[in-house]
Amino acid sequence: MIITFKKARLGYGRKVVLNDISFTIEAGDYFGIVGPNGAGKTTMLRAILGSLKPLGGTVETESPSGGPLRIGYVPQRDTIDDVLPYTVDEVVVMGRFRRLGLLRHPSHADRDAVSRSLTHVKVENLHAHTFKDLSGGQKQRVLIARALASEPEALILDEPTNGMDLPSRLAILDLIEDLHEEGGLTVIMVSHLLEDVANYVRHLAIVEREFFQVGPVEDVLTGPNLSRLYNMPVTVERVHDRTIILAGEGHGTR
Amino acid sequence: MEPGEIASTILREFPYALYGSILVAVACSYLGVYIVARRVVFFGAVLTQVSVLGLAATFLPFFAVPHTVGSLAFTLICVVILSQLFTGKKIPRDAVLGFVFVLSVAARILVMQKAPKVEAAEIENLLRGDILFVTPDLFWLMAGAFAVTALPNILFYKEFSFITFDAETARTQGYSARTWDIAFYLLAGVIIAFATHMVGDLFVFGFLVIPPVAALLVAKRVRTIFIISVLIGVLCPPVGLYLAFLWDFPSSPSIVGVAVVFAGIAYLLRLVRKQ
Repeated sequence: MIITFKKARLGYGRKVVLNDISFTIEAGDYFGIVGPNGAGKTTMLRAILGSLKPLGGTVETESPSGGPLRIGYVPQRDTIDDVLPYTVDEVVVMGRFRRLGLLRHPSHADRDAVSRSLTHVKVENLHAHTFKDLSGGQKQRVLIARALASEPEALILDEPTNGMDLPSRLAILDLIEDLHEEGGLTVIMVSHLLEDVANYVRHLAIVEREFFQVGPVEDVLTGPNLSRLYNMPVTVERVHDRTIILAGEGHGTR
Repeated sequence: MEPGEIASTILREFPYALYGSILVAVACSYLGVYIVARRVVFFGAVLTQVSVLGLAATFLPFFAVPHTVGSLAFTLICVVILSQLFTGKKIPRDAVLGFVFVLSVAARILVMQKAPKVEAAEIENLLRGDILFVTPDLFWLMAGAFAVTALPNILFYKEFSFITFDAETARTQGYSARTWDIAFYLLAGVIIAFATHMVGDLFVFGFLVIPPVAALLVAKRVRTIFIISVLIGVLCPPVGLYLAFLWDFPSSPSIVGVAVVFAGIAYLLRLVRKQ
């Protein structure tokens, strides 16, 4: 296991957002975190990333080879402030800064790692383009490339398909799956889009203050669980080997 | 006066006005790129006002310290207090800055009222930042302060860039965004405090904003933005001082006016490029 929550109580100051959370994420897993807005997904993510200390219990991360876990983080695109016109190369090389340390500048090896990462996510042709001028899907690939440039053991993505059109969304999800399948990379994906996680992840955590469920996706992503989570009738169906989520009764049926 | 005569008068009679204003303009134009990129322009405005308050306070009998010390002390204390207040979510950042801005201006007026009347003209000159009376001592003090603050800015360029671009991911990479933020604002505070003492708040705030904005309009690369912004900082003071002598205008507003003209040209260039 690389991430372990033991009776973790998470929150800010006196405000407890999630209580008594216990689960593990194994190396090589593809793990999804879903839940309504404000339910605590970001809080859980921050605990994994180490930027939020638990109020109680423990959240431990450990590399499969011992030592600290190397995390490649892909933030939501809209949290990035692109006033300055950084090139794609300049953005991706930021993924190498932790390895470089203070006062050292990127070497040829770092440039090679940037190049490899861009090739991996199939945007090597964009390396000299300005990041702020790219489409949503291209930006997402570049941010994934930056995370890969840090040579991570776990890739954590926060709402990676938010605000994308359908083809871009599927392309990004396929890319993430390829990284997981081919490289054996542990992937943790936070999303509020249920179908994104339903058809890709292996294990799933449903996050809600009073209703926390975790386990294999087919056990957790069920109609009764989702109905309770969203406080409305929800059914989960299989169509052409894909999982689809149907919400509400009579809503949007004309 | 003939054009050549004006230039030689400036170089002969007011050399440190020219060198000092170029020094401040370059420092503020460089720093301003980060200020604009971080969307904290109002923070720059607040620090210049706090710095002016610090200057004014040195005229009070019970705070009779050198002007630069007063300006620096007030500015750095303000940076530390603001960095604490910024962490709260109850009050928006802009509101905190607005509060400090109003407080600084009001306090300055009150301080001026209580300062000895005989020094009123000197206070007025100092607060307005009379470029023509920059002394060699003040210039070299400034040059030293800028050298000291420029060094970390250059050495930690990649860290400041990362935090400016994507603080959240930088945090996951082990950078304490808060520590780097405070370091940046303290460095900015030192530059603003010294610069305000030397050339006044209008000049400082003008060069924190106008050259970076002009550079952002025309440059396509980050390094080019810094280069163009600094270049505007180098060019505006000699042109502005020359025009101030030619038309008998005050020097600071003339120099800032030239910077505005550069920004206008940059805007037109951008329009032409778009078409």
